[in-house]
Amino acid sequence: MREILTGIINAMRLLFSLDKEVYEVIILSLYVSLTSTLLSGLVAVPCGIIIGTKQFPFKKPLVRFIYTMMSLPPVIVGLIVYLFISRRGPLGHLGLIFTPTAMIIAQFLLVTPIITGILYNGAKEKGEEIKRVAKTLGANPSQTLILLIKELRFSIFTGLVSGFGRAISEVGAVMIVGGNIKGHTRVMTTTIAMLRNMGEYENAIAIGIVLLLISFVVNSFLYHLQQDS
Amino acid sequence: MDLRIKALKKHYESKSVLDINQLHISKGTFLGIIGPNGAGKSTLVKILSNVEDATSGEILYNGGGFSNELSKDMTLVFQKPYLLRTTVYNNIAYPLQLRKLDQAEIDNRVISMMKTMEIMELKDQKAWTLSGGEAQKVALARALIFRPSLLILDEFTANIDPSSMVLLENTIKQFHEGYRPTIIMVTHNIQQAKRLCSHVAFMINGKIVEYGEMNEVIFNSQNTDTQKFISGEILI
Repeated sequence: MREILTGIINAMRLLFSLDKEVYEVIILSLYVSLTSTLLSGLVAVPCGIIIGTKQFPFKKPLVRFIYTMMSLPPVIVGLIVYLFISRRGPLGHLGLIFTPTAMIIAQFLLVTPIITGILYNGAKEKGEEIKRVAKTLGANPSQTLILLIKELRFSIFTGLVSGFGRAISEVGAVMIVGGNIKGHTRVMTTTIAMLRNMGEYENAIAIGIVLLLISFVVNSFLYHLQQDS
Repeated sequence: MDLRIKALKKHYESKSVLDINQLHISKGTFLGIIGPNGAGKSTLVKILSNVEDATSGEILYNGGGFSNELSKDMTLVFQKPYLLRTTVYNNIAYPLQLRKLDQAEIDNRVISMMKTMEIMELKDQKAWTLSGGEAQKVALARALIFRPSLLILDEFTANIDPSSMVLLENTIKQFHEGYRPTIIMVTHNIQQAKRLCSHVAFMINGKIVEYGEMNEVIFNSQNTDTQKFISGEILI
């Protein structure tokens, strides 16, 4: 209990300490998670809408695959990405291993199925009706797509919030492909894991609270956007 | 809009739900499609409005096939309308925005339409907070706002109160008198068809068993099924 209380006090101290290292970790966490979520959104939103509103062969197995990928263990994603981008891997020549880009790739693979699955469900429920209204009011295919995105904005926000939540709280994959290198690939979750290994529980809790606070602020912002729309 | 239907068929798996050999609906006709449940009325109007595909057959719109340009000149109002998740104003303005009218023209038309439909007080209300009758008024306003040459109504007054029904019927009547579009209205209500339609088609088991001018079919029907339906022996 004492460690938790001290952790809360330390969290406040950390936030207002203006310590460069702490802010670097926070900024890198936000950069990696927001970038991977936005890139996933760009791919997953149209994919989810198309899968939810179109009929095509092998749709059912594809949906089952997406659902399975939604609960993909991060360490497996980390391992696969590592094998591809490590020096001896097929993409080793790109020099991505232990870089923020590698972490973004790993989180992108984790988040994309989540947003796709959520969009698929939203589009399956309302998509046909929206398309029908667009068609009967004279919308062309691109106007119909814009209307689908507008009408499914709640699913899009839900997908993005869930995806961001997964990305910012993920540790296994970024640890493997990022390596937790100080000042380069160290993010909040890998810092917490490292501090725990070092027995510095109070600081680990402090960073955990900072992580929660930041997650709360970002989600509040997204929620605000959702309400306004 | 002038419509010609030739050998139109629709099957759901092996079941035939629509089988119309020939039908001509000339420009400016106000056609009522009447018939019992499962007669194929809604399937016919969905195919006419290109929401659903026919299994076989041909429909000629002004002598030609369906095109993107044509789709901008026709619309279908459903019994249970889907309103966009925005305000009433934006719902009604949407078809005009699709047609890229300037904002002043959009404002003029939308406000005038809302006054006609007696829904001015709902202007800024979110569509999902409306009652069934209010939603149907908004859906009809959204359909009439761009003055389509072909207006298709699928039991559009089935779930609304009598006073709203009178208002909607009068609005459609005025629209027909003002712009002379072709209107096709699916209804179970013979009295409503009598009040509004110039022509009537009676459907049963996917086929049109009688078609002609309203008074001719209602008062001088040659078909026993039509006679039974009119006298209430066939329940809707």
